[in-house]
This record gives sequence, C-alpha cells and structure tokens, in this order.
Amino acid sequence: MSAVTATISEDVMKTVQAKPALRDEGAKLGFRLTLPAQILVLFIAVFPLLMQLYISLTDWSPLSGLGWWNAWSLWNNFANYTDLAVDARFWSALKRTAIVMIVCVPAEFLMGLALATLFADEFPGKRIFYSILLMPMMVVPAVAGYMFFMLFQSGGPVNDILSALSGFPVTIAWLSDPTLALIAVMVADIWQWTPLMFLILLAGLVGVPEDQIKAATLLGANPWQRFITIVLPKMKTIIIIALAIRVIENFKIFDTLYIMTGGGPGVATETISVYIYKLTTQDLIWGYVAAIALAILIVLSIAAVFAMKRMAAARQEA
Amino acid sequence: MSAIHLQNLVKKFGDFTALKTMDLAIADGEFMALLGPSGCGKSTTMNMIAGMEEPTNGKILFGERDMAGVPMGRRGVGFVFQNYAIFTHMTVRQNLAYGPRMRGAAKAEIDRRVGAIAEMLQLTSLLDRKADRLSVNILQRVAIGRSAIMEPAIFLLDEPLSNVDAAFRAVMRTELKQLQRQFKQTMVYVTHDQLEAMTMADRIAVMDHGVLQQVGTPLEVYNNPANVFVARFIGSPGMNLLKGRPAESDRGLVIDLGPLGVTPPLPDDLAPAVRAARGDVLYGFRPEQVTLSDRGLSMPVSFVERIGARTIVHLGESESAVKAVFENDVGLAIGQTAIVAPAASSVRVFDAATGQAIKAD
Repeated sequence: MSAVTATISEDVMKTVQAKPALRDEGAKLGFRLTLPAQILVLFIAVFPLLMQLYISLTDWSPLSGLGWWNAWSLWNNFANYTDLAVDARFWSALKRTAIVMIVCVPAEFLMGLALATLFADEFPGKRIFYSILLMPMMVVPAVAGYMFFMLFQSGGPVNDILSALSGFPVTIAWLSDPTLALIAVMVADIWQWTPLMFLILLAGLVGVPEDQIKAATLLGANPWQRFITIVLPKMKTIIIIALAIRVIENFKIFDTLYIMTGGGPGVATETISVYIYKLTTQDLIWGYVAAIALAILIVLSIAAVFAMKRMAAARQEA
Repeated sequence: MSAIHLQNLVKKFGDFTALKTMDLAIADGEFMALLGPSGCGKSTTMNMIAGMEEPTNGKILFGERDMAGVPMGRRGVGFVFQNYAIFTHMTVRQNLAYGPRMRGAAKAEIDRRVGAIAEMLQLTSLLDRKADRLSVNILQRVAIGRSAIMEPAIFLLDEPLSNVDAAFRAVMRTELKQLQRQFKQTMVYVTHDQLEAMTMADRIAVMDHGVLQQVGTPLEVYNNPANVFVARFIGSPGMNLLKGRPAESDRGLVIDLGPLGVTPPLPDDLAPAVRAARGDVLYGFRPEQVTLSDRGLSMPVSFVERIGARTIVHLGESESAVKAVFENDVGLAIGQTAIVAPAASSVRVFDAATGQAIKAD
C-alpha cells in the first residue's frame, strides 16, 4: 500500500514540478482529488509506523507514566535492537514459526493442488463435496482453535479414533507434549487453510487453456508430462500468489494456536505472534515489542518484494 | 501416409445427434475440406478422427487399421487448432521439440529434427524467440511444424484461418497449400469459409445438420450441386432457385414460374429427366451465368451492390428473388425492370419436394 501511495505522490509531484505551464488546472485538481486518500493513508500507515519506530528506540512502557510522545526521555541507545539480537526466546520463537511455515505451507499447497486437480474434472456429488471442502475456511479461527482443543484432549475423539483403529486404549496427552502440541497446532492450521489454497489453485487450474492441453495430448504427452510441462508452468503466477498469501498469513499464526495451547506447554508452541502478544500484555515492555515488530516487518517486506519480482517475471513468461 | 475411411459414423450427445451416418473415403495424400455452417457436424467429425471424441457408432479406419480405442496421442495425427494452441510459455524451439521430447527421443535426435523442420518452415532465425509474441503467420507455421515433426500420416486443421483478418487470409491460404505440397500428407481441413475450401481443397465434403450433403471437387460442387442446400451454400451469392412446374411448349420443355412467366426451354439432355420426375421443381442458375437480354425473366430491380470488380443486382422479392452478378456496372437502377436470361448450360433443376438435383441423363 505504501508503495502505491509513493508512486502516486511521486507522479503528482513530478507533474507539479516539471511543467510550470500546466501547474494550474490538471495537476492541482489531481492533487486535491487524491489528498483525502493520501491523508488517510498517512494516518493509518505512515503515522503508526513512525510512532512504532520512535517507541522502539526507547524503554517506554504504558506503566512508565509518560505519554508516548514523551518517550524520548527514555531513549536507550538502540538497546532494544541489541537485546533482540541476543534474545534466545525470540530466536527460538522465530525458529518455531519457520518450522510451522515449512511444514504447513507446503502441506497445504500439495493437498490444495491435489484437490484442485481432482475438482477440475467432473464427478458425481462434486458440488456437495466442494461446499464441504470450503467450510473449514469459513470457521472463525478462534472457534476452530477451540474445536481442535477439544479434539486433541487425552479423552478426546482423536484418541478415541486411534484406540478404535489400533485396538488398544490410546491416551496420548497431545497438547501437553512439546512435540505433539506443535504437531496438533500444525494439523489445525492445515485443516483450516488447505481450502483457501485449493480455491486459489482451482481458479488457476481452470484457467489453463484446454486447447494447449489437448495439443500436448495429441503430441503424445501422458497425463503426468502434461501436468509438468503445461499445467504447472501456466499456473506459475497463481501458485506464487497462493504461496505468498499463505507464507505471510502463516508467519502471523496466532488465534487458533493461542486457544489450543496458549503457546505452551512452556514455550513449546510459542510463535512470534504469541511471543509478541505475551510481551505486550504480560511484560508490558512496549518499546521492545515495537522493535521486534519493526524487525519482522522489514524482513517480511523484503520477502514480499522478492515474491512480487518473481511474480512479475512469471507473468512475463506465462 | 494414410487414407481415411469413415464408415457409418454416428455421434450423439445425449438426445442431440451431431452426426448422422457419415460415410466418407479420403484418399492418401488428399486435401479434403469439410465445409458447412456452424453446427453442421464438421468439427465433431474431425474430433472423432483425432480421437478427442469417441464415435457413438461406426468405424474410423486409417488405411486398413481400425482406430477404435486408439487414444489420441497414438493415432499419428497432427492437429492444428483454431487458435493454434501454441505453448506460449515456451520458445519456438521448445514448441517444435515438444512431441519428440515427450516420447523420450535423444537430445541430438531432437536437435536434428527441430533443425530440419525449422529450416523447412523458415523458422530457424526465430527458434529462440518466446512463443507469446509471434505474428499469426508464424504461429501457424509453428503449429504446423510442431505437428509435422512427429511425421504424422494425417494432418487435421480446425478452421486455422478464422482468427485472421481478411487481407492476411489470402497470404495464409497460399502458404498452407504450399506446405501441404511439401509434406504430402493426407489433410483434412475444417472450415465454414467456402473460399478457403474452394481454393485449397482437392475435394470438398459439404455438410449440414450432421448430414453429408455432397462430396466432390470444388468445381463439381459448384457446378453440379447435389441438392438445394449445396446449391445455396456454395457460391457467393448462392445459386438462384425459383419454384415452378414443368410445362410443355412448342420450343420444348420449359418451367412455368407462375407470375414470372416461363423459362427458356431446358437443355435437351436435362428435359427427359425433368419430365420423368413430375411434380414441382426448383429452377436453378448461377448468378454469375446470367446475361441481360430481351428474352428471359422480366423482373424489377430491388437493389444494386457495386463492389468494384463486380456488380450484384438484386431482382424481384421474397420467394422469387434472384441475384445476378455482372463483371461491369450494367447501369441498372432500383425500380427499373431488367430482363435476365440464364445461360442454358448453367441451368440446374431440383425436385421441389426432396430438394435433390434432377440429373441429366
């Protein structure tokens, strides 16, 4: 969003500066027309960002008794950032977030792609299955979290099913075991977000020109070859979009997870968002929180720019 | 190389019959055009030959070989799609190499074949160009090359010129015909444009409503249409058809056209057959084979189209409307009365009830 704003204002400025003759009518009108939107963007994006940057350079906390604008008196010489570099809990939360992403996003992608391929053809009951498949996406994440919290209780349905299948009574304490809790959290995320992946990929799949698939068939390509050489390359742009959406969203994983485990046991499922949440509501060190959030924003922005470049390249190719 | 035999071919989509019992023999190396208005079953026929659709009934033979159950990738058929279906995410080279690559040919072998085909189609300098920014005639050559590299015995072309503007179509027609001479394959060409069919095809199969109407050389279908549909469909404008009743006169057998009067006597070779057929007939003649004279059909001029090289004069109205095409502007104006006489040799007579041509003995 800020990139778009920048381009608009740059263009306006260029017009205003470059041609004094035209400075009056067109350019001025354009500037006036976009002014409300620009002010709005200033307040919802630029202002909070600057405020965050400001606070992140101080030891300010809501308990400090100062208004945030007076935070300069608590200036700490970049201590928040130097602390961040050696904050083991931060780095392990980051690592955990990365693990969740590395497992969840590819799993959602592969399952979504498989389902999309299945749904690209006709089969009886397709519409009903389609609706059922989209349902998880429509469940409020907090509710989904509570649902999986119940499912993974030691006396819950998951263990009941495992007992029935194995013939032995299974009483795994899913959410109390560090590894299993992380797995349970990932299962919930995959359950909820595979449908989105499926939906986006199906749209891409349907958009692959049928003629080209037929042409490939006539040239002797088998279904797998067609998929690799025609379908996937044609879907490249949409695949990058789907992955980008899920990577960004997954990085911020919070609600479902927080309700299921609260980040525990201990810090076993503490992701970046949970860590920030705890620092904000329990430790109340907002200067530090601002520093973390800003660091993450920068990292994610770099990733987004990279993804967008790849996307533009892919669109050129497709 | 391969001949194609369609035997009792039927295709139904649910209750709708797209193709009713089609029999057609296409000779080895022949350029056959399937011509007809949209919905006539020509594309369905082509898709069945390619194996994209299974016939409901009947057989397709390539040479002696029955194609039933042979999947479309294994029929040895080259197919050029209406929009060419070029793989736009690949280069020209990758497009050409696609077939051999999918069949696991060796790298050196692929390079050799791509080189040869590119040479033949003058694509060598474009090989590493991305296929999404090519002009239409190059797309056509890539599409043909991509199929030709598989050395198919049969080439199927599905209205490849329909997306091209009129001026360019003439260029493409010539190019396509030359390519066919080069490759010497059996070609089946689906089109609704009679000009394409007439200029390129060795023989034309005219189809309508899922029924094969006539098969013949371009001049045969033009000169001797088998029925009323072909008479009207082929030629631009189509054949004039006037309803009438055979009548004897002192000059021989004529057709009584009612208010329009009687026609000049029918040629001697046609008269006995018409006499034998009895019943109402349709009196047909080509608009191009009409002269202005003092004896003939006297009709009011309702409209004049001057298109430079030719002048099309519309005469009469509704049921008894006639068009006449002249090489030069004949100076007729709307409202004037013209007397037109069809050339005796161009007159064709059709049975009004069945629509079938009454053939001279």
